[in-house]
Order: sequence, then C-alpha cells, then structure tokens
Amino acid sequence: MSPADPPPTPYSERPEWADVVPVAQYEKANPLAPILYTDEYKDATDYLRAIVKSGEKSERVLALTEHVIRLNPAHYSAWQYRYETVLALDWPLDVEMTLMDELADLHLKTYQVWHHRRLLVLRLGLPAAAPELVYIAKILAKDEKNYHTWAHRQWVLSYHNDDALWDGELDFVDVMMNRDVRNNSAWHHRFFVVFQSGVRDGEEDRERVVRRELVYVKQQISLAPNNASAWNYLRGVLEFNKRPFAIVEPFVKLYTVPRAEDSRDIVDVDNPPPGSGAELPCVAALEFLADIHEAEGRIDDAAALWKSLGEEHDTIRKKYWEYRTLQAKNSKATA
Amino acid sequence: MTTTSTMRPVPVDAFPTLTSSTQAETEKILLEHVSDPNKPPTLHKNLHMQFLVRALSQGLPARYSSQDASQPWLLYWTLQAFSVLQVGLDPGTKQKAIDMLLACQDTEGGFGGGPKQTPHLLPTYAAVCSLAIVGRPGEGGGWDDIDRGKMYKFFMSLKQPDGSFLVSKHSEVDVRGIYCLLVVATLLDIITPELVEGTAAFIASCQTYEGGFSSASQPYYTASSTLLDSPRPPLGEAHGGYTFCALASWVLLRPFLPSTSTIDKKALVRWLVQMQGIPIELGGFKGRTNKLVDGCYSWWVGGAFGLLESIGVDPSAFGGEGDWEDVDDSLLNRRALQEYVLCAGQHPAGGLRDKPPKSADLYHTLYCLAGLSAAQHKVIPSPMRRQQLLDAWTSDGGLRREVFLEALCFTEEEGTETIVGGAANRVNATHPIFNLTVTHSDAIMGHFYKQTIPPRATRPV
Repeated sequence: MSPADPPPTPYSERPEWADVVPVAQYEKANPLAPILYTDEYKDATDYLRAIVKSGEKSERVLALTEHVIRLNPAHYSAWQYRYETVLALDWPLDVEMTLMDELADLHLKTYQVWHHRRLLVLRLGLPAAAPELVYIAKILAKDEKNYHTWAHRQWVLSYHNDDALWDGELDFVDVMMNRDVRNNSAWHHRFFVVFQSGVRDGEEDRERVVRRELVYVKQQISLAPNNASAWNYLRGVLEFNKRPFAIVEPFVKLYTVPRAEDSRDIVDVDNPPPGSGAELPCVAALEFLADIHEAEGRIDDAAALWKSLGEEHDTIRKKYWEYRTLQAKNSKATA
Repeated sequence: MTTTSTMRPVPVDAFPTLTSSTQAETEKILLEHVSDPNKPPTLHKNLHMQFLVRALSQGLPARYSSQDASQPWLLYWTLQAFSVLQVGLDPGTKQKAIDMLLACQDTEGGFGGGPKQTPHLLPTYAAVCSLAIVGRPGEGGGWDDIDRGKMYKFFMSLKQPDGSFLVSKHSEVDVRGIYCLLVVATLLDIITPELVEGTAAFIASCQTYEGGFSSASQPYYTASSTLLDSPRPPLGEAHGGYTFCALASWVLLRPFLPSTSTIDKKALVRWLVQMQGIPIELGGFKGRTNKLVDGCYSWWVGGAFGLLESIGVDPSAFGGEGDWEDVDDSLLNRRALQEYVLCAGQHPAGGLRDKPPKSADLYHTLYCLAGLSAAQHKVIPSPMRRQQLLDAWTSDGGLRREVFLEALCFTEEEGTETIVGGAANRVNATHPIFNLTVTHSDAIMGHFYKQTIPPRATRPV
C-alpha cells in the first residue's frame, strides 16, 4: 500500500465485524510516553485485542492479523495469534509462505518475519528447505550482512543436516565473498559450514580440509591485507584445529614489513604476497606475529611488536597492548 | 585527543568493496565531528532532559508504532536515561509509570510489550527494571504487584532441552532473552538451579571463533534425544549486543556454574578491544567485525568491559611492574569512547543517536549515556562491600545468599573516575550487569531478599 492510498474502511464501520466489540488498550491507566497512533492502527489493534480475548480463529482473523502485521511487523502477539490461527484452520502453508516471501522482503530487519518463516519451514519439512536456501540467497544479495537472514540460513542447514543441502554452501560463500571480501557474515558462514556442524560428505580427510582453508584465507588476505575478517578466520582455523600459529609465520611476515618485496614472478601458493596496493605493515599481521613470538617464549620480540602497536600502528588500543606485555612478562616470571 | 592530521583512514589496500566504501563515507562524516582541542566537549544535559520530558509528556510520534510491542522498553530507556543524568521524578509521574507497567503484566505471569499482549522475556526485563526505578513496596507501589510465582512458571514454560529459553511462546531462542530472564530472576529472588540447568553450557556454545558471542546455537541430539556436546554450532556471527547479554548471563550464572563449563576469556577480551574504532572513527564501538561504529555499542561493548573483573580478567593484577604503569588500567580507551558519545552521539536538538546525521531516539539516548557512564566510572566487585553485605545478611546461607552478594558487591573504585570535558559532564554510575543505578539495584534486591542494605561508604550513585 502506498502512502497515497486512502486508509481502508475502519473495522468499526464494517458490517461483517459488527458482532465484535473492540477492546481499548488502556482501560484504567493513563499512559506515560504514549505513542500517537494513527486512527487506522488504533482501530485494527482494538479489534485484534477483542479477537484474542474471544479466542476466535477464522479467515477474517487471518486478514486482521495480516493488516496489523503490515502496519507493525514487530507486533509479536499478532504473529503468534496468526500462527495459531493458521494451524487451527489447517490453512494451506504454501499460501502462507507466499505471503511471507513478500513480507520478509519488506521488513528484512524484523525478528518476527524470519521466525514465522522458520515455523512454516519446520512444518513443511525437508522439501521446503532447498527452496528456502534459494529465497535466502535472494535476500542476502540485497542485504549482505543481515544477521537474521544468515542465522536463518544456518538454522535451515543444521536443523535438516541433509547432505544435499550442504553441497552448495561453499560455492555460495564464494559468491558472497567475491562480492565483498570484507563481509564478516560470509566468513562466519564459511567457518560454520567447514568446521562447526559436523563433517560434510567428501571432507573426511581433515588434514586436506585444513590445508585447503589455509590456502583460501591466505589468498583472500593477499587481495586486501587489512581485512580483519580474514585474519580472524585464519586464527579460527588454526585454533579450532589445534595448530600452532607458527606454521604460517613465513606468510605472516610478508605483511609485517613496511613495503612488499617485489616477488610477482614467483607463485608461492603457501605464501601469497600482498598486492601492489597493500598498505603495510598490517596491524593484524603485527599482532599475529607477536602471538607467534609469545607462544614460542620470545617475550622480548613480542613486547617490541606490542610496543610498536601501542605507540604507532594501533594507538587506540594502547592499554590492551600494554596489558598483553605485562601479562606475558608476568607469566614468564612465574613459569 | 588526536588532531585531524594524524587521523589515518581504515586502509583500503586499493581494493574497494561495499564495506570499505560505506566505511569511507562514515569516516568523512565523523571527521567533521572531531573535537576541537581548544574547546572541551560538553554533555548537553538540559537538552537531553528536555528530549526525555517531551517523550514522556507529549507522547511519541506515530512512527513509534513500530515499538508498540516494546512499550515497557520505551519507558525503561526514558527512566534509566533520567537516572544516568541524575534526574529524579515526581511521585505523580512515578505512579503513572507504575500503573502503565502493571497494565502490561499478564494474568499468567510475565509482562507483555503492551497491555493484553502475550508475555515475553524482553519487555519483562524492561518492566521489572522500570519498576526498580519508579516502584516501591506496598499497595499500588508495583513491587508487590509482581506475581513472582506466576513469573517463575512463565519462565519454566519457555525452557528448552538445550538449556536455552524461548523469548515467548512460538517464538525464537536467543541470548537476549536469557539475559533478560536471569536479570529478572536475580532481582526478584526466584532464580533456582532448576531454572538455570544447562543454561551456562548453552551460553558457552554461542561463543564463536572470533571470541564474541552469537544470537543462539543449534542443538544436535542423538536418536534417543540426548543432547550432544558437539556439534553445537553458533547461529550468526559474533555480535556486540549478544556478547553483552551472554557475558552478563555468564556472570549471573556464576553461583550455579558447573566446574566443567568454560568460555575462552582471552579470545573474548581480544574481540571486545577489537570492536573499538580507531581515531578517525572517534573511538566509538562497532557491533561486528567490519561494520560501522554506532553509539549504542558504547554500552553493549563498552559496558561489557565492566564485567571482565567478575570473570577473573584483572589488568591491575600486573600493576607496579614495567615502564607502562598507569592509574588507568582499563582495557578499553575510556577517553576516546567518551569523545565519541560527546562529539558524534549527541543530536544538536537533544537526545542521542547512532551517528551523525541520524536522528535521536530513546534507545540510543539511553545506551549512549550508559556507555558514557561506563567510560567515566569503574564499577567493580569489591571484596570489602561483599563482606559488609555478608555481615548484614540475616537469612540462611546457600545459593540465595551467594546470588545476592555477587549481584550487589559492585562498587565504584575510588580515584578511578575519568571525565572528559570536565566535572559538569559527569553522569551517574550504572550497575554493569543490570544497567540500573547501584542505588536502585540495592533497593529492589533488598526488598525481595528481605535484607537491610548497609549504607555505602562512598557518595550515593
């Protein structure tokens, strides 16, 4: 409905609603910070309260709840009552899903539109899962970091845990990553798919998987070296698989120097160098190298890097770099 | 702080993407709000107070209909913002607030987002915390009108086999709801081992590889419906709001924690500090990696630092050694955060906001002010205060006493107040777990635990 459309006839003037006595929101209290509702909203919610009170479940209740939801998609009680009505009427779930396709698209940031979809997908079972992934991809194409949408995708995948569903996920991550390598939601999704929800078909050789992921994340770092998401992923892969950070030291060191050495002729997949536009040294690489030093007991080397971070490269976190230094020196002293 | 000349943009590495271009646009806007070194920034307390008074008395424009299901929140944000600004309310306004909140209580327990709405964990927190501010014991005072028995049944009806809770019937699970439930159960003296069984393990499972926490996790069960320890993947990436809720929940659960439950504290601290923006972002906080700074994370992330001491992260433990000794041993940059709130967070017409040029709203007004408060004051668990409360305790020992002591032993550490822009910018300290003042926390818990709270040595906050 566009703003130019005239408001619909109030329920209070519709003969088919004449049997319902509207229920005001506040009967006694005189509210503080009252919301100055439009007449349309007030009228619709007065009738919704009346329906909830009477417990009626009918097609006109579906129309009424849809109306309230369109005016305020965060009205969780309207969503709950609608869901109960859908079940009571044995309402066709595909019809409801079509309406949800429209509403989710309109109200991307609302918890309730995604949760209602989840309830429907739950009832529709596995056949609804693959189309759901297609729909989610469509939404993520225009709102790349939508938290609810990504979490919903992860739920669809892990709830069904069906090999055919998981199959396309790494390709999907690539599509999102090619669009924006700094999209942290896409990085999180990759970690979720590769490491956190069991082992996918064909990925039983974990050694190979870890190697593949290291090659992947290093490639992405070489494209845009100051990308915190990619460095966090690198840390995550190593920590989750209990590998020492030191195994990537030659790679990390390429990003800790002020300017890249000219090595364009040599292709080293294990140690891809920073691109020509890279702004070096990279704060994340300095931090990473300090962690390697600390783990190997070279506290003075680590402290020198922390000092340069605190005083020059990452001054906002000076206190944190000091803390890391004192903590490392202290634990060495008591070791 | 830093002058414009030393403000480097976040590096783009000659590889622009959507993230880097929105970041660059934000940096350009924020640069216009860098504080003038010759003119200390002022907190416009009067303008913000008028903004809040307008909301209370004149009402909220129709666009606030989107928060029709969050009416107790609208009140809580307003009332707690007044508390942080050191403003008291007259008895008539308090009574109107109490009556309105009680109209949202469901006959089956819990509070809804408005009168005759289904009860929900989020407005239940907002309603009970609002009552902590404006309510009192006795007839019509709000506190004794809360049906605690039904509240407990309502909570138990939402409990899931993996230790989590639905936020409301037929609704989603997430750690915001768990935080809200645990705060209310703690304040009202209805928290029990039965209620929180498995909840700590659920919280722990929401920590992601980045160190922060996500909205929820997905349980996997065996064929015979036994919950598996693994896999238990987080749903969604590490996020400031969820991380605050998870960490505060963890702290509230400490008296009930099985020794086997752990979270990765080192990764958590790293993630929290990484959320603080660099000088060109004026030191504000963001809520996720590679997202933009937003005033509300001044509290959700900035405020989370106030909970670290409770989980054993204590930077001052290494004090007195090395050349970097300093009175301020906080892990966040307290001064920079205050500058973000003062220079970018304040709307010129009153109220606070996400960032310029956005408009002010009640949500951002509270969380910017609460974040400012967290950056000014260091409120930490005090062994001395704990002992005073223990000496004054008059019931049996056990978990109830432990919950009470853990919650109320927070005190502002002497001599650590840091106020950017001068003493006139001082706001009240707020309890790092509840986001209520210490005075309001003391009063409502004293009532429900039937204890006399010994007076505090320092000035009342």
